Amino acid sequence: MEDAQGLKGHLDVLLLAALENGPRHGYAIKEALRTGSNGRFDLPTGTIYPALHRLERAGLISGSWSVVDGRRRRSYQLTAGGRRKLDGDRTDWHQFAGAISALLGPSPRVATS
Amino acid sequence: MTAPMPQATVHATIESYLTEVAARLVGPARMRGAILAELRDGLMEALGTRLARGVEPAHAAAAAIGEFGDPPSVARGFASELAAATARRVAFALASTGPPIGLLWAAAYAGRFGLVHVGPPWRWPAAPTGAWLAFPLICAVVAIAGLAALTVVASTSRLSRWLPMRPTLAPVAAAAVAAAAMTVDLTMLGLLASQVVTRPGSLAWSSAAAAATASLTRLTLAGWATSRCQTSRAAVA
Repeated sequence: MEDAQGLKGHLDVLLLAALENGPRHGYAIKEALRTGSNGRFDLPTGTIYPALHRLERAGLISGSWSVVDGRRRRSYQLTAGGRRKLDGDRTDWHQFAGAISALLGPSPRVATS
Repeated sequence: MTAPMPQATVHATIESYLTEVAARLVGPARMRGAILAELRDGLMEALGTRLARGVEPAHAAAAAIGEFGDPPSVARGFASELAAATARRVAFALASTGPPIGLLWAAAYAGRFGLVHVGPPWRWPAAPTGAWLAFPLICAVVAIAGLAALTVVASTSRLSRWLPMRPTLAPVAAAAVAAAAMTVDLTMLGLLASQVVTRPGSLAWSSAAAAATASLTRLTLAGWATSRCQTSRAAVA
């Protein structure tokens, strides 16, 4: 959960990235973030859905309804604007992370006794 | 060892949870319905994932619900989006009604003499007493309210990327637009009432009745909309 708190400010780009390879519904997006981060980013589900609605309102993703197993399902996919936003944010992140890594230096060696 | 929970009971547990969430959602009915349908699908997915792993149904349902969070927290998460939708609808509706209601009032005061007049409205033949003061003030209120309405609509739509507005501000701004519309309608109805008393012969009655009906209708709806905006804002705060 602490990792989830640290994601504040990066949630949007992670949600966009989760949709890069095709449409997904809300719970599948949550699971993609969890499994894609080896369980580190197990975000509260109540956070994911409102964020998806906000991204859709901003035109970065688009939602559509279908019926699966007799119940309504809303799936989301990237819009052209969302893809541009993802590309831009990804470039910014790599530059930022590269600069921080350069300053911090290599990973500490594992202590051996 | 307890008996396995029947599927119907598991579903009833989830529906009971959704009912609790629904009771705390404040906003347009269609959007609330869409949110509940989406949550229901997510909950059933979470439930199905656990059942597939062999988790006992009662525990699977409890865990799926726990994953989503308690109803007040879930509802609070959607409050900003619902408030934005409420504000957008109110602002759009009021901005849309402005021009037709303005035209109806123009027809009410100019109808008997033709719609084309040279000079400002307060010099029109049927202009009510005090119009020289009221009309410029109304024009100023309409201009400010119109700008506010357009800003609310823009900041709660796709343009929100470039024109963000705090979640608590959008419903307040929309309520202010509604208050401005109510002020204009009350002023116009007041002018009409004085006109009926002082110079009834100058009025085009059918146009005046249509304008008064439109303003009364908007007055009622704007009052209701103001209340909805305040409730939405309270849910976000």
